[in-house]
Amino acid sequence: MNDWVFRAEGVTKSYDGGKTFANRDVSIEVRPGEVYGLLGPNGAGKSTFVKQVIGLLKPDTGSLHLGQHDLVADPDAARQFCSYLPQATMPIESFKVHEAVRLTGRIRGGSKSATDERGEELIDALQIREWRDTLGTKLSGGVRRLVGFIMVTVVPGRVVILDEPTNDVDPLRRRLLWEQVRLLGQMGAAVFLVTHNVLEAEKSVDRLAIISDGELVAEGTPSSLKVADRGRLRLQLMMVPGTPTPELPSMVRDHSRVGNNLMAMIDEDRAGDGIAWARRAMADGLAEEYALAATTLEDAYIRLTGHTSDNGVREVTV
Amino acid sequence: MTGASVAVLGVVRSGPSYWFESLGAMLRWYLTSMRLLLPVFVVVQMLIASGFSVGISFFFEEITPEAALFLGTGASIIALILAGVVVAPQLIASEKDAGTYDFSWSLPVPRSANVTAWVMLNAVIGIPSMVAALVIADWRLDLDFSLSWTIAPAVVLALTCGTLIGSAVAHAIDRTSITQLLSQVFAFGILGFTPITYPIENLPTWLGSVHRVLPFYHMGVIVRGGLTDGRGDGMWASFGVVFGWTLAAAIATALVVGRRK
Repeated sequence: MNDWVFRAEGVTKSYDGGKTFANRDVSIEVRPGEVYGLLGPNGAGKSTFVKQVIGLLKPDTGSLHLGQHDLVADPDAARQFCSYLPQATMPIESFKVHEAVRLTGRIRGGSKSATDERGEELIDALQIREWRDTLGTKLSGGVRRLVGFIMVTVVPGRVVILDEPTNDVDPLRRRLLWEQVRLLGQMGAAVFLVTHNVLEAEKSVDRLAIISDGELVAEGTPSSLKVADRGRLRLQLMMVPGTPTPELPSMVRDHSRVGNNLMAMIDEDRAGDGIAWARRAMADGLAEEYALAATTLEDAYIRLTGHTSDNGVREVTV
Repeated sequence: MTGASVAVLGVVRSGPSYWFESLGAMLRWYLTSMRLLLPVFVVVQMLIASGFSVGISFFFEEITPEAALFLGTGASIIALILAGVVVAPQLIASEKDAGTYDFSWSLPVPRSANVTAWVMLNAVIGIPSMVAALVIADWRLDLDFSLSWTIAPAVVLALTCGTLIGSAVAHAIDRTSITQLLSQVFAFGILGFTPITYPIENLPTWLGSVHRVLPFYHMGVIVRGGLTDGRGDGMWASFGVVFGWTLAAAIATALVVGRRK
Protein backbone atom coordinates (compact mmCIF):
# COMPACT_ATOMS: atom_id res chain seq x y z
CA MET A 1 0.00 0.00 0.00
CA ASN A 2 1.52 3.30 -1.09
CA ASP A 3 0.83 6.36 1.05
CA TRP A 4 2.03 8.76 -1.72
CA VAL A 5 3.64 11.08 0.81
CA PHE A 6 6.63 12.92 -0.64
CA ARG A 7 9.67 12.83 1.61
CA ALA A 8 13.04 14.49 1.07
CA GLU A 9 15.67 13.73 3.67
CA GLY A 10 19.05 15.41 3.95
CA VAL A 11 19.25 16.27 0.25
CA THR A 12 22.66 17.76 -0.45
CA LYS A 13 24.48 18.65 -3.62
CA SER A 14 27.77 20.47 -3.96
CA TYR A 15 29.94 21.69 -6.80
CA ASP A 16 33.63 22.54 -7.07
CA GLY A 17 34.65 19.61 -4.87
CA GLY A 18 32.39 20.59 -1.99
CA LYS A 19 33.17 24.32 -1.99
CA THR A 20 29.80 25.49 -3.32
CA PHE A 21 26.51 24.01 -2.18
CA ALA A 22 23.55 23.97 -4.57
CA ASN A 23 21.56 22.61 -1.65
CA ARG A 24 22.46 21.43 1.78
CA ASP A 25 20.64 19.02 4.05
CA VAL A 26 17.16 19.84 2.74
CA SER A 27 14.42 17.77 4.40
CA ILE A 28 10.78 18.24 3.46
CA GLU A 29 7.60 16.20 3.77
CA VAL A 30 4.57 16.97 1.61
CA ARG A 31 1.28 15.09 1.82
CA PRO A 32 -1.12 14.46 -1.08
CA GLY A 33 -3.46 17.43 -1.41
CA GLU A 34 -1.00 19.96 -0.02
CA VAL A 35 0.17 23.00 -1.94
CA TYR A 36 3.72 23.52 -0.77
CA GLY A 37 5.67 26.66 -1.57
CA LEU A 38 9.42 26.81 -2.12
CA LEU A 39 10.46 30.43 -1.67
CA GLY A 40 13.84 31.98 -1.99
CA PRO A 41 15.86 34.49 -3.98
CA ASN A 42 17.31 33.63 -7.39
CA GLY A 43 20.09 31.11 -7.05
CA ALA A 44 18.88 29.92 -3.64
CA GLY A 45 18.61 26.32 -4.83
CA LYS A 46 14.85 26.01 -5.39
CA SER A 47 15.08 24.91 -9.02
CA THR A 48 17.98 22.59 -8.20
CA PHE A 49 15.78 20.85 -5.65
CA VAL A 50 12.85 20.31 -8.01
CA LYS A 51 15.19 19.11 -10.75
CA GLN A 52 16.45 16.51 -8.27
CA VAL A 53 12.87 15.44 -7.64
CA ILE A 54 12.08 15.02 -11.35
CA GLY A 55 15.36 13.18 -11.98
CA LEU A 56 17.24 15.77 -14.04
CA LEU A 57 19.85 16.23 -11.30
CA LYS A 58 21.13 13.78 -8.74
CA PRO A 59 21.80 14.66 -5.11
CA ASP A 60 25.23 13.76 -3.72
CA THR A 61 23.63 12.49 -0.53
CA GLY A 62 20.16 12.27 0.92
CA SER A 63 17.00 10.57 -0.27
CA LEU A 64 13.84 11.47 -2.17
CA HIS A 65 10.84 9.17 -1.81
CA LEU A 66 7.29 9.27 -3.09
CA GLY A 67 5.53 6.71 -0.92
CA GLN A 68 7.53 3.53 -1.37
CA HIS A 69 9.21 4.71 -4.57
CA ASP A 70 12.82 5.80 -4.32
CA LEU A 71 13.00 8.68 -6.82
CA VAL A 72 16.81 8.88 -6.78
CA ALA A 73 17.31 5.19 -7.55
CA ASP A 74 14.43 5.07 -10.03
CA PRO A 75 14.30 8.23 -12.19
CA ASP A 76 11.80 6.50 -14.53
CA ALA A 77 9.34 6.43 -11.63
CA ALA A 78 10.14 10.07 -10.90
CA ARG A 79 9.29 11.09 -14.47
CA GLN A 80 6.10 9.04 -14.48
CA PHE A 81 4.76 10.22 -11.12
CA CYS A 82 5.80 13.88 -11.29
CA SER A 83 4.60 16.55 -13.73
CA TYR A 84 7.05 19.39 -14.20
CA LEU A 85 6.51 22.92 -15.49
CA PRO A 86 10.03 24.32 -15.89
CA GLN A 87 10.81 28.00 -15.51
CA ALA A 88 11.86 28.21 -19.18
CA THR A 89 9.43 28.73 -22.03
CA MET A 90 7.66 25.64 -23.31
CA PRO A 91 8.74 24.38 -26.77
CA ILE A 92 5.40 24.90 -28.47
CA GLU A 93 6.22 27.29 -31.33
CA SER A 94 4.91 24.87 -33.94
CA PHE A 95 1.93 23.60 -31.96
CA LYS A 96 -1.60 24.87 -31.89
CA VAL A 97 -2.67 25.18 -28.27
CA HIS A 98 -5.04 22.21 -28.33
CA GLU A 99 -2.44 20.04 -30.10
CA ALA A 100 0.19 20.75 -27.45
CA VAL A 101 -2.28 19.93 -24.69
CA ARG A 102 -3.55 16.74 -26.29
CA LEU A 103 -0.11 15.43 -27.19
CA THR A 104 1.44 15.99 -23.77
CA GLY A 105 -1.65 14.42 -22.20
CA ARG A 106 -1.12 11.34 -24.36
CA ILE A 107 2.61 11.30 -23.57
CA ARG A 108 1.67 11.43 -19.88
CA GLY A 109 -0.39 8.27 -20.36
CA GLY A 110 -3.86 9.80 -20.38
CA SER A 111 -6.61 8.26 -22.49
CA LYS A 112 -7.67 10.25 -25.54
CA SER A 113 -11.14 11.08 -24.23
CA ALA A 114 -10.06 12.00 -20.68
CA THR A 115 -7.20 14.14 -22.02
CA ASP A 116 -9.46 15.98 -24.46
CA GLU A 117 -12.17 16.51 -21.87
CA ARG A 118 -9.92 17.91 -19.18
CA GLY A 119 -7.84 19.87 -21.70
CA GLU A 120 -10.91 21.70 -22.99
CA GLU A 121 -12.08 22.33 -19.40
CA LEU A 122 -8.75 23.88 -18.48
CA ILE A 123 -8.73 26.01 -21.65
CA ASP A 124 -12.10 27.40 -20.53
CA ALA A 125 -11.15 27.67 -16.87
CA LEU A 126 -8.10 29.80 -17.70
CA GLN A 127 -10.07 31.77 -20.29
CA ILE A 128 -7.77 31.15 -23.24
CA ARG A 129 -10.34 29.61 -25.61
CA GLU A 130 -9.80 32.37 -28.18
CA TRP A 131 -6.25 31.03 -28.69
CA ARG A 132 -7.22 27.32 -28.80
CA ASP A 133 -6.33 27.03 -32.51
CA THR A 134 -3.45 29.53 -32.50
CA LEU A 135 0.15 28.51 -33.14
CA GLY A 136 2.62 28.89 -30.26
CA THR A 137 4.71 31.42 -32.20
CA LYS A 138 1.75 33.81 -32.16
CA LEU A 139 1.00 33.56 -28.44
CA SER A 140 2.00 36.16 -25.85
CA GLY A 141 4.37 35.06 -23.09
CA GLY A 142 1.56 34.95 -20.54
CA VAL A 143 -0.72 32.76 -22.66
CA ARG A 144 2.21 30.44 -23.42
CA ARG A 145 2.78 30.12 -19.70
CA LEU A 146 -0.86 29.18 -19.16
CA VAL A 147 -0.68 26.64 -22.00
CA GLY A 148 2.40 25.18 -20.32
CA PHE A 149 0.43 24.87 -17.09
CA ILE A 150 -2.34 23.00 -18.90
CA MET A 151 0.19 20.73 -20.63
CA VAL A 152 1.67 19.55 -17.35
CA THR A 153 -1.62 19.29 -15.46
CA VAL A 154 -3.94 17.86 -18.12
CA VAL A 155 -2.87 14.47 -16.79
CA PRO A 156 -1.31 15.51 -13.49
CA GLY A 157 1.13 13.32 -11.63
CA ARG A 158 1.05 12.50 -7.95
CA VAL A 159 3.45 15.38 -7.58
CA VAL A 160 2.99 18.52 -9.66
CA ILE A 161 5.99 20.84 -9.79
CA LEU A 162 5.31 24.40 -10.93
CA ASP A 163 8.40 26.60 -11.31
CA GLU A 164 7.26 30.25 -11.40
CA PRO A 165 3.92 29.39 -13.06
CA THR A 166 2.55 32.95 -13.09
CA ASN A 167 5.48 34.65 -14.86
CA ASP A 168 4.11 37.02 -17.52
CA VAL A 169 0.49 36.10 -16.72
CA ASP A 170 -2.01 38.96 -16.36
CA PRO A 171 -3.62 39.57 -12.94
CA LEU A 172 -7.05 38.21 -13.87
CA ARG A 173 -5.73 34.94 -15.21
CA ARG A 174 -3.27 34.65 -12.35
CA ARG A 175 -6.27 34.36 -10.07
CA LEU A 176 -7.79 31.71 -12.32
CA LEU A 177 -4.53 29.83 -12.32
CA TRP A 178 -4.33 29.85 -8.52
CA GLU A 179 -7.84 28.38 -8.43
CA GLN A 180 -6.62 25.53 -10.61
CA VAL A 181 -3.59 25.02 -8.39
CA ARG A 182 -5.94 24.68 -5.39
CA LEU A 183 -8.08 22.21 -7.37
CA LEU A 184 -5.01 20.09 -8.12
CA GLY A 185 -4.57 19.77 -4.37
CA GLN A 186 -8.19 18.79 -4.00
CA MET A 187 -7.70 16.15 -6.68
CA GLY A 188 -5.06 14.57 -4.49
CA ALA A 189 -1.82 15.81 -6.04
CA ALA A 190 0.98 17.21 -3.92
CA VAL A 191 1.85 20.55 -5.52
CA PHE A 192 5.30 22.12 -5.33
CA LEU A 193 5.14 25.80 -6.06
CA VAL A 194 8.52 27.39 -6.74
CA THR A 195 8.44 31.16 -6.62
CA HIS A 196 10.06 34.30 -5.38
CA ASN A 197 6.76 36.15 -5.43
CA VAL A 198 6.06 36.04 -1.71
CA LEU A 199 2.73 37.83 -1.71
CA GLU A 200 1.24 35.42 -4.25
CA ALA A 201 2.58 32.44 -2.37
CA GLU A 202 1.12 33.67 0.90
CA LYS A 203 -2.39 33.44 -0.53
CA SER A 204 -1.94 30.14 -2.34
CA VAL A 205 0.10 27.70 -0.29
CA ASP A 206 -0.77 25.50 2.67
CA ARG A 207 2.80 25.37 3.89
CA LEU A 208 6.06 26.71 2.61
CA ALA A 209 9.78 26.46 2.98
CA ILE A 210 12.09 29.44 2.71
CA ILE A 211 15.37 28.50 1.07
CA SER A 212 18.44 30.67 1.16
CA ASP A 213 21.91 29.75 -0.11
CA GLY A 214 20.79 26.16 -0.61
CA GLU A 215 19.58 25.71 2.95
CA LEU A 216 16.09 25.49 4.31
CA VAL A 217 15.98 28.43 6.74
CA ALA A 218 12.33 28.22 7.78
CA GLU A 219 9.31 26.03 7.21
CA GLY A 220 5.66 26.23 8.21
CA THR A 221 2.30 27.74 7.37
CA PRO A 222 2.33 31.35 6.18
CA SER A 223 0.82 32.40 9.53
CA SER A 224 3.37 30.54 11.61
CA LEU A 225 6.23 32.22 9.73
CA LYS A 226 4.77 35.62 10.51
CA VAL A 227 4.66 34.96 14.27
CA ALA A 228 7.94 36.77 14.88
CA ASP A 229 6.47 39.89 13.29
CA ARG A 230 3.26 39.74 15.29
CA GLY A 231 2.56 42.98 17.14
CA ARG A 232 4.52 44.97 14.57
CA LEU A 233 3.54 47.22 11.72
CA ARG A 234 5.30 48.06 8.52
CA LEU A 235 5.90 51.76 7.96
CA GLN A 236 6.81 52.34 4.35
CA LEU A 237 8.28 55.64 3.14
CA MET A 238 8.74 56.56 -0.50
CA MET A 239 11.89 58.68 -0.31
CA VAL A 240 12.63 61.61 -2.60
CA PRO A 241 15.07 60.24 -5.22
CA GLY A 242 18.67 60.92 -4.27
CA THR A 243 18.04 61.60 -0.59
CA PRO A 244 19.96 59.60 1.98
CA THR A 245 18.22 57.39 4.53
CA PRO A 246 17.38 59.69 7.47
CA GLU A 247 18.44 58.93 10.98
CA LEU A 248 16.05 56.31 12.30
CA PRO A 249 14.31 56.76 15.66
CA SER A 250 14.75 54.09 18.29
CA MET A 251 11.25 52.70 17.77
CA VAL A 252 12.35 51.27 14.42
CA ARG A 253 13.08 47.60 15.07
CA ASP A 254 14.34 46.72 11.67
CA HIS A 255 14.53 48.42 8.30
CA SER A 256 15.48 47.90 4.70
CA ARG A 257 15.78 50.19 1.72
CA VAL A 258 15.55 49.22 -1.94
CA GLY A 259 15.84 52.16 -4.30
CA ASN A 260 13.65 54.91 -2.89
CA ASN A 261 11.52 52.51 -0.91
CA LEU A 262 12.32 52.57 2.82
CA MET A 263 10.56 49.96 4.94
CA ALA A 264 10.70 50.21 8.74
CA MET A 265 9.22 47.78 11.26
CA ILE A 266 7.71 49.41 14.32
CA ASP A 267 5.73 48.14 17.32
CA GLU A 268 1.96 48.42 17.03
CA ASP A 269 1.67 50.67 20.11
CA ARG A 270 4.09 53.18 18.58
CA ALA A 271 1.98 53.65 15.43
CA GLY A 272 1.21 57.28 16.31
CA ASP A 273 4.89 58.11 16.82
CA GLY A 274 5.75 56.38 13.57
CA ILE A 275 3.24 58.44 11.62
CA ALA A 276 4.54 61.64 13.24
CA TRP A 277 8.10 60.71 12.22
CA ALA A 278 7.03 59.92 8.66
CA ARG A 279 5.20 63.22 8.36
CA ARG A 280 8.26 65.06 9.63
CA ALA A 281 10.36 63.34 6.95
CA MET A 282 7.86 64.56 4.35
CA ALA A 283 7.87 68.08 5.79
CA ASP A 284 11.70 68.07 5.64
CA GLY A 285 11.52 67.16 1.93
CA LEU A 286 13.07 63.72 2.44
CA ALA A 287 10.01 61.59 1.69
CA GLU A 288 7.19 61.93 -0.82
CA GLU A 289 4.59 59.69 0.84
CA TYR A 290 4.17 57.04 3.49
CA ALA A 291 1.96 54.06 4.27
CA LEU A 292 1.37 52.11 7.46
CA ALA A 293 0.29 48.49 7.04
CA ALA A 294 0.10 45.12 8.73
CA THR A 295 3.15 42.91 8.32
CA THR A 296 3.07 40.31 5.57
CA LEU A 297 4.95 37.15 4.78
CA GLU A 298 7.33 39.32 2.81
CA ASP A 299 8.62 40.83 6.05
CA ALA A 300 9.39 37.36 7.37
CA TYR A 301 11.02 36.53 4.05
CA ILE A 302 13.23 39.63 4.22
CA ARG A 303 14.17 38.84 7.81
CA LEU A 304 15.11 35.25 6.95
CA THR A 305 16.87 35.66 3.61
CA GLY A 306 18.21 39.20 3.61
CA HIS A 307 16.50 39.76 0.27
CA THR A 308 13.36 41.54 -0.78
CA SER A 309 11.06 39.41 -2.88
CA ASP A 310 12.05 41.24 -6.05
CA ASN A 311 15.60 40.15 -5.28
CA GLY A 312 16.96 43.49 -4.24
CA VAL A 313 19.40 43.13 -1.39
CA ARG A 314 18.46 44.83 1.85
CA GLU A 315 20.60 47.73 2.89
CA VAL A 316 21.07 47.31 6.62
CA THR A 317 19.66 45.31 9.47
CA VAL A 318 19.20 47.08 12.77
CA MET B 1 -14.35 20.31 -13.35
CA THR B 2 -14.19 16.56 -13.51
CA GLY B 3 -11.77 14.66 -11.38
CA ALA B 4 -10.01 13.55 -14.59
CA SER B 5 -7.00 11.51 -13.96
CA VAL B 6 -4.75 12.49 -11.14
CA ALA B 7 -2.32 9.72 -10.78
CA VAL B 8 -3.82 7.34 -13.18
CA LEU B 9 -0.85 5.27 -12.21
CA GLY B 10 -0.39 3.23 -9.11
CA VAL B 11 2.53 1.40 -10.62
CA VAL B 12 5.40 2.36 -12.86
CA ARG B 13 4.46 1.62 -16.44
CA SER B 14 6.78 -0.64 -18.40
CA GLY B 15 6.74 -3.26 -21.14
CA PRO B 16 6.59 -3.26 -24.94
CA SER B 17 3.17 -1.61 -25.35
CA TYR B 18 4.23 1.30 -23.10
CA TRP B 19 7.48 1.58 -25.07
CA PHE B 20 5.78 1.65 -28.48
CA GLU B 21 3.05 4.04 -27.32
CA SER B 22 5.79 6.34 -26.01
CA LEU B 23 7.71 6.07 -29.29
CA GLY B 24 4.61 6.98 -31.30
CA ALA B 25 3.75 9.90 -29.03
CA MET B 26 7.31 11.28 -29.00
CA LEU B 27 7.61 10.94 -32.77
CA ARG B 28 4.38 12.94 -33.15
CA TRP B 29 5.78 15.44 -30.63
CA TYR B 30 9.05 15.94 -32.56
CA LEU B 31 7.42 16.00 -35.99
CA THR B 32 4.90 18.60 -34.87
CA SER B 33 7.51 20.67 -33.09
CA MET B 34 9.63 20.66 -36.27
CA ARG B 35 6.88 21.18 -38.81
CA LEU B 36 7.68 24.85 -39.48
CA LEU B 37 11.40 24.15 -39.88
CA LEU B 38 11.39 20.70 -41.41
CA PRO B 39 10.91 21.79 -45.05
CA VAL B 40 13.67 24.37 -44.60
CA PHE B 41 16.07 21.77 -43.21
CA VAL B 42 15.31 19.36 -46.04
CA VAL B 43 15.86 22.03 -48.69
CA VAL B 44 19.10 23.27 -47.13
CA GLN B 45 20.50 19.74 -46.83
CA MET B 46 19.47 19.04 -50.38
CA LEU B 47 21.16 22.21 -51.67
CA ILE B 48 24.40 21.48 -49.82
CA ALA B 49 24.55 17.95 -51.16
CA SER B 50 23.50 18.68 -54.74
CA GLY B 51 25.86 21.64 -54.91
CA PHE B 52 28.58 19.06 -55.47
CA SER B 53 27.10 17.35 -58.48
CA VAL B 54 25.85 20.58 -60.04
CA GLY B 55 29.18 22.35 -59.47
CA ILE B 56 31.20 19.49 -60.87
CA SER B 57 29.00 19.26 -63.95
CA PHE B 58 29.68 22.94 -64.66
CA PHE B 59 33.41 22.51 -64.14
CA PHE B 60 34.08 19.50 -66.36
CA GLU B 61 32.79 19.39 -69.88
CA GLU B 62 33.23 15.64 -70.08
CA ILE B 63 32.89 13.30 -67.16
CA THR B 64 33.15 9.52 -67.34
CA PRO B 65 30.03 7.54 -66.37
CA GLU B 66 31.99 5.89 -63.57
CA ALA B 67 33.15 9.22 -62.12
CA ALA B 68 29.63 10.61 -62.52
CA LEU B 69 28.22 7.68 -60.58
CA PHE B 70 30.79 8.16 -57.82
CA LEU B 71 30.11 11.88 -57.54
CA GLY B 72 26.34 11.66 -57.81
CA THR B 73 25.88 8.86 -55.31
CA GLY B 74 28.46 10.49 -53.03
CA ALA B 75 26.52 13.75 -53.00
CA SER B 76 23.34 11.99 -51.95
CA ILE B 77 25.16 10.00 -49.27
CA ILE B 78 26.53 13.25 -47.84
CA ALA B 79 22.95 14.56 -47.51
CA LEU B 80 22.09 11.49 -45.48
CA ILE B 81 25.11 11.65 -43.21
CA LEU B 82 24.86 15.39 -42.57
CA ALA B 83 21.27 14.98 -41.34
CA GLY B 84 22.50 12.78 -38.50
CA VAL B 85 25.94 14.12 -37.70
CA VAL B 86 25.30 17.84 -38.21
CA VAL B 87 21.58 18.60 -37.99
CA ALA B 88 20.87 16.37 -34.97
CA PRO B 89 23.45 17.99 -32.64
CA GLN B 90 22.43 21.47 -33.81
CA LEU B 91 18.80 20.74 -32.93
CA ILE B 92 19.74 19.41 -29.50
CA ALA B 93 21.98 22.42 -28.85
CA SER B 94 19.20 24.80 -29.82
CA GLU B 95 16.85 22.98 -27.40
CA LYS B 96 19.42 23.52 -24.67
CA ASP B 97 19.79 27.20 -25.60
CA ALA B 98 16.04 27.74 -25.53
CA GLY B 99 15.81 26.05 -22.14
CA THR B 100 13.34 23.48 -23.42
CA TYR B 101 15.74 20.54 -23.11
CA ASP B 102 14.79 19.89 -19.48
CA PHE B 103 11.13 19.67 -20.38
CA SER B 104 11.71 17.20 -23.24
CA TRP B 105 13.76 14.88 -21.03
CA SER B 106 11.43 15.14 -18.02
CA LEU B 107 8.56 13.62 -20.00
CA PRO B 108 7.39 10.24 -18.70
CA VAL B 109 8.64 8.11 -21.56
CA PRO B 110 11.46 5.55 -21.69
CA ARG B 111 14.60 7.35 -22.76
CA SER B 112 15.34 4.66 -25.33
CA ALA B 113 11.94 5.38 -26.95
CA ASN B 114 12.69 9.10 -26.86
CA VAL B 115 16.08 8.58 -28.58
CA THR B 116 14.53 6.23 -31.17
CA ALA B 117 11.90 8.87 -32.00
CA TRP B 118 14.76 11.32 -32.40
CA VAL B 119 16.56 9.03 -34.86
CA MET B 120 13.32 8.65 -36.83
CA LEU B 121 12.92 12.43 -36.96
CA ASN B 122 16.38 12.66 -38.50
CA ALA B 123 15.32 10.06 -41.06
CA VAL B 124 12.49 12.38 -42.04
CA ILE B 125 15.09 15.09 -42.70
CA GLY B 126 17.81 12.86 -44.17
CA ILE B 127 15.97 10.52 -46.54
CA PRO B 128 14.10 13.16 -48.60
CA SER B 129 17.34 15.18 -48.81
CA MET B 130 19.16 12.11 -50.04
CA VAL B 131 16.52 11.26 -52.64
CA ALA B 132 16.36 14.86 -53.89
CA ALA B 133 20.15 15.04 -54.16
CA LEU B 134 20.11 11.80 -56.14
CA VAL B 135 17.44 13.07 -58.54
CA ILE B 136 19.37 16.31 -59.13
CA ALA B 137 22.62 14.40 -59.69
CA ASP B 138 20.86 12.12 -62.15
CA TRP B 139 19.52 15.15 -64.01
CA ARG B 140 22.92 16.88 -64.23
CA LEU B 141 25.22 13.86 -64.61
CA ASP B 142 22.94 11.18 -66.08
CA LEU B 143 23.78 8.46 -63.56
CA ASP B 144 23.83 4.80 -64.34
CA PHE B 145 22.61 3.60 -60.93
CA SER B 146 20.64 0.50 -60.06
CA LEU B 147 19.04 -0.11 -56.69
CA SER B 148 19.72 -3.22 -54.68
CA TRP B 149 17.80 -4.48 -51.62
CA THR B 150 20.80 -3.59 -49.47
CA ILE B 151 19.91 0.10 -49.83
CA ALA B 152 17.27 -0.26 -47.10
CA PRO B 153 19.52 -1.61 -44.31
CA ALA B 154 22.36 0.64 -45.52
CA VAL B 155 20.31 3.83 -45.24
CA VAL B 156 18.82 2.84 -41.88
CA LEU B 157 22.21 1.92 -40.46
CA ALA B 158 24.06 4.98 -41.80
CA LEU B 159 21.35 7.31 -40.59
CA THR B 160 21.08 5.69 -37.16
CA CYS B 161 24.84 5.66 -36.73
CA GLY B 162 25.23 9.31 -37.74
CA THR B 163 22.33 10.49 -35.58
CA LEU B 164 23.55 8.59 -32.52
CA ILE B 165 27.09 9.96 -32.92
CA GLY B 166 25.72 13.50 -33.29
CA SER B 167 23.31 13.04 -30.39
CA ALA B 168 25.92 11.57 -28.05
CA VAL B 169 28.15 14.60 -28.67
CA ALA B 170 25.31 17.09 -28.22
CA HIS B 171 23.93 15.46 -25.05
CA ALA B 172 27.38 15.11 -23.50
CA ILE B 173 28.58 18.68 -24.03
CA ASP B 174 26.95 21.33 -21.83
CA ARG B 175 28.29 24.35 -23.70
CA THR B 176 26.17 24.60 -26.80
CA SER B 177 28.63 26.91 -28.56
CA ILE B 178 31.13 24.02 -28.54
CA THR B 179 28.50 21.64 -29.90
CA GLN B 180 27.71 24.09 -32.71
CA LEU B 181 31.39 24.45 -33.48
CA LEU B 182 31.93 20.69 -33.51
CA SER B 183 28.99 20.19 -35.86
CA GLN B 184 30.66 22.65 -38.25
CA VAL B 185 33.89 20.68 -37.98
CA PHE B 186 31.93 17.52 -38.78
CA ALA B 187 30.29 19.23 -41.74
CA PHE B 188 33.55 20.44 -43.27
CA GLY B 189 35.32 17.21 -42.45
CA ILE B 190 32.66 15.15 -44.18
CA LEU B 191 32.23 17.45 -47.17
CA GLY B 192 35.91 17.95 -47.89
CA PHE B 193 38.10 15.40 -46.20
CA THR B 194 36.08 12.20 -46.29
CA PRO B 195 36.38 9.89 -49.31
CA ILE B 196 32.68 9.80 -50.17
CA THR B 197 32.65 11.82 -53.40
CA TYR B 198 36.08 10.54 -54.42
CA PRO B 199 37.93 7.20 -53.98
CA ILE B 200 39.80 6.58 -50.73
CA GLU B 201 42.94 5.79 -52.74
CA ASN B 202 43.15 9.47 -53.72
CA LEU B 203 43.83 10.46 -50.11
CA PRO B 204 47.28 10.47 -48.49
CA THR B 205 47.88 7.01 -47.05
CA TRP B 206 47.68 8.12 -43.42
CA LEU B 207 44.36 9.91 -43.92
CA GLY B 208 43.03 6.87 -45.76
CA SER B 209 44.00 4.71 -42.78
CA VAL B 210 42.18 7.05 -40.42
CA HIS B 211 39.05 6.78 -42.54
CA ARG B 212 39.19 3.01 -42.55
CA VAL B 213 38.65 3.23 -38.78
CA LEU B 214 36.10 6.08 -38.70
CA PRO B 215 32.54 5.27 -39.76
CA PHE B 216 31.88 7.96 -42.39
CA TYR B 217 33.78 6.41 -45.32
CA HIS B 218 32.14 3.05 -44.56
CA MET B 219 28.69 4.69 -44.45
CA GLY B 220 29.46 5.88 -47.99
CA VAL B 221 30.51 2.39 -49.08
CA ILE B 222 27.36 0.65 -47.84
CA VAL B 223 24.93 3.24 -49.19
CA ARG B 224 26.72 3.38 -52.53
CA GLY B 225 26.61 -0.42 -52.62
CA GLY B 226 22.82 -0.21 -52.39
CA LEU B 227 22.68 2.38 -55.17
CA THR B 228 25.03 0.56 -57.56
CA ASP B 229 23.84 -3.01 -57.16
CA GLY B 230 26.65 -4.00 -54.88
CA ARG B 231 29.48 -2.69 -57.03
CA GLY B 232 32.62 -1.89 -55.10
CA ASP B 233 34.65 -4.03 -52.77
CA GLY B 234 34.27 -4.69 -49.12
CA MET B 235 30.63 -3.65 -48.73
CA TRP B 236 29.93 -6.31 -46.10
CA ALA B 237 33.05 -5.46 -44.13
CA SER B 238 31.90 -1.84 -44.17
CA PHE B 239 28.48 -2.92 -42.88
CA GLY B 240 30.35 -4.50 -39.97
CA VAL B 241 32.31 -1.33 -39.22
CA VAL B 242 29.22 0.90 -39.34
CA PHE B 243 27.30 -1.57 -37.19
CA GLY B 244 30.10 -1.52 -34.61
CA TRP B 245 30.08 2.28 -34.53
CA THR B 246 26.28 2.31 -34.25
CA LEU B 247 26.48 0.02 -31.23
CA ALA B 248 29.20 2.14 -29.62
CA ALA B 249 27.29 5.38 -30.32
CA ALA B 250 24.09 3.85 -28.91
CA ILE B 251 25.89 2.93 -25.70
CA ALA B 252 27.46 6.39 -25.49
CA THR B 253 24.08 8.06 -26.09
CA ALA B 254 22.41 5.87 -23.46
CA LEU B 255 25.08 6.85 -20.96
CA VAL B 256 24.92 10.60 -21.57
CA VAL B 257 21.15 10.86 -22.00
CA GLY B 258 20.49 9.07 -18.73
CA ARG B 259 23.22 10.92 -16.91
CA ARG B 260 22.10 13.06 -14.01
CA LYS B 261 24.65 15.61 -13.01
